[in-house]
Amino acid sequence: MVVRVSTGRALLAATLGVGMAVTAQAASYPDIGPLPQLKVDKAKAELGKRLFFDVRLSGDAGISCADCHVPEKAYASKEALSPGYPGNGHFRNASSLVNTAHKNIWNWDGRIGTNLNDMTREMITEDYIMNMDMRIMQERLKQDPLYVKMFKDAGYGEPSNGSVRKAIPEYLKTLTSTGSPFDKGTMSASAKRGMKLFKGKAGCIQCHNGPLLSDLKPHNTGVPENFDVFLDPMNHQAFMAFTMFQGVPDYRNLKRDPGYFNVTLEKQDMGKFITPSLRELKYSAPYMHNGMIKTLSEVVGFYNAGGGKDRNKSKKLKPLGLSANEQKDLVAFLEALSGDPLTSPKYVWDQPYPAEYPVIENWTQVRN
Amino acid sequence: MSIKKIAPTLVAVAVATVLTACQAQETKTGSAVSGKSMAAKTAQSGPPPLAPLGAPPIPPDNKQTPAKIELGKILFFDPRLGGDASTGCSTCHEPDQGWAWAEDFSRGYPGTVHWRNSQTIINSAYYARNFWAGSVPSLEKQAPSAAKGGVAGNGENDIMESRLALIPGYRKRFKEVFGTEWPLIGDAWRAIAAFERTLVQRDTPLDKYLLGDKNALTEQQVQGMALFNGKAGCIQCHNGELASDQDYYNIGVPPNKRWEEDGLAQVTFRFELYAKGMTEEGYRTTKADPGFYFRGKNTWDKGKFRTPSLRYTAFTAPYMHNGIFYTMEDVVDFYNRGGFDEDGRTTAFAENKSKLIKPLGLTDEEKENLVAFLEAFSGEEMLMEKPAMPEYAPLFTRAELEAAQEEK
Repeated sequence: MVVRVSTGRALLAATLGVGMAVTAQAASYPDIGPLPQLKVDKAKAELGKRLFFDVRLSGDAGISCADCHVPEKAYASKEALSPGYPGNGHFRNASSLVNTAHKNIWNWDGRIGTNLNDMTREMITEDYIMNMDMRIMQERLKQDPLYVKMFKDAGYGEPSNGSVRKAIPEYLKTLTSTGSPFDKGTMSASAKRGMKLFKGKAGCIQCHNGPLLSDLKPHNTGVPENFDVFLDPMNHQAFMAFTMFQGVPDYRNLKRDPGYFNVTLEKQDMGKFITPSLRELKYSAPYMHNGMIKTLSEVVGFYNAGGGKDRNKSKKLKPLGLSANEQKDLVAFLEALSGDPLTSPKYVWDQPYPAEYPVIENWTQVRN
Repeated sequence: MSIKKIAPTLVAVAVATVLTACQAQETKTGSAVSGKSMAAKTAQSGPPPLAPLGAPPIPPDNKQTPAKIELGKILFFDPRLGGDASTGCSTCHEPDQGWAWAEDFSRGYPGTVHWRNSQTIINSAYYARNFWAGSVPSLEKQAPSAAKGGVAGNGENDIMESRLALIPGYRKRFKEVFGTEWPLIGDAWRAIAAFERTLVQRDTPLDKYLLGDKNALTEQQVQGMALFNGKAGCIQCHNGELASDQDYYNIGVPPNKRWEEDGLAQVTFRFELYAKGMTEEGYRTTKADPGFYFRGKNTWDKGKFRTPSLRYTAFTAPYMHNGIFYTMEDVVDFYNRGGFDEDGRTTAFAENKSKLIKPLGLTDEEKENLVAFLEAFSGEEMLMEKPAMPEYAPLFTRAELEAAQEEK
């Protein structure tokens, strides 16, 4: 696997290093292993952290990134469906942002395949997400003296849209898994048995491979639709606005999430979603693109049954015939992929934001 | 009123103004108060006199029907036609605030403040162009511009149209009015415009007086009218049926001091410069609203705004594009000083200040008479109960969703 991030070369080397140890069964898949460390610019990341938790980055100053990407939930959404922007709901479960800097494709449908800079713009400006006119955002930031200082200290000059789109990704690099039993080599006997099943009988590694435990490719696993997307008009309006904007044909009558079809508009991609990473699952329930599965044992049960029902379902899925104990071992392994919670002030901006925008003194005399 | 009472110099000035307007190549079609006919009239005989207000012009491609007007009325009051479903047209154009907003700056989208005064909807149907700088050519274009502007409605077409699709009451009404299976957002603006064309006031004391009821104005108001047409020179711009020539002038209104005292207002001020395409240097140094400049980016247009109608102004305080005057007395004093406020402040673009604006030398009694006459431009307050809002309902039943799931 080649992960195209800025540190791609280092990552590739690390991946190859781990690859030496591949087992016979999983030889054709990049092996699972520890994530490489990313080099982080401290001042830029600190700025990104303050931005991430700041409600002034949304149109009506009602929500921040952290309203959908909750630190205690491994920066995924609390509920099955994300809350979305005030005035509407949402139609998917916000993905965990832990290790997001290690990916090369983003969103459940994979519609951003460039970089986190574009992803940041997408999240801030989309009307059903944060609905922010970034020109207003820029001027808000310029009205906050601490931001003026932080942007300068980070080497960005004055606050600008472009720098926001760099600083937030820099912060996201700090959200990298750390301290999991899997990475530390302290897995229980059960988890170790689970890992063997993962790579062998259960076949998880077919898609969940590499250091992220994801091939970052779209697959249809037949996850059932979350009817709350359609039965709650608040969620449905977000879904409808999104599919309209994506150019999905007959979007008003659509009764399912088209997934990767958004991107290609090719029939065979209907209902495909990008394989999620399996790290930090301990915190990020519920699971799947629409939060339809509440626990890890139910997830394992779902795959043991060969996945869900969809004529477009991946051929890789078939009933696994795992015993109850084998399923328990698999769950133990999945839990061992979770590390320390990233909820300390090192990761979370815990200082208050100003209640008002301070006035710029001598306004008529100074340059805007 | 007689045209002959106007001083000859005034006529010359007015003609010059018309020429300027022609040079600016302003087109004012589609209005009963058309610029073309006005110019023709003025060239011969000075500004067109005040006149009773006729029926508003109805665009041939958006005819009035009762069902369309009723739909437009509901949409006008519906906050779901905005970004976070909290700001509709009526949010900044409240019927009990003169169909405007009773603060200097319009309230703006949550988390923001606007930077201009919200104008009344009453008689907006007569303008050939809307907004203070005339940036849109019709009410059909004004509505989306307001609903989508970052410091106004901050909505986007896709989410607003999706909301309409999920409201059965709207699906039914849009189908009846526009014949479409699903509500289209463009039709929402058309319906709102049709509703707004019903919000006209044609029975003011002034209209009655001009139509022959000589008791409709008090003696004091009649004296004020003479000043309006003569010594005070108001008629130079506030003329015709609408009491507006719909042209653009810099009359010397000073910047709102809120930009020096309010951080949120400073945010919006810079945003507007940025969004409306100032040059880098213009963005850095501009400290007052350039107004009509944004239309053609001509430096001589900085600080110009469209002459507003004087109709319904009894209910629309505060006044001016930035709402800095809270009473009509303040407005008259401002003009009497030749376009200066009580602190001697004037426009930041003084080089563009209209030559029509000069000290008037009005006595206290004359000012009172003028203010009394200005009240004759307003009839009864036009209030309206907010209509019941049709509610969201799921588009599909659970059974339909289950059937679709089975077919996957």
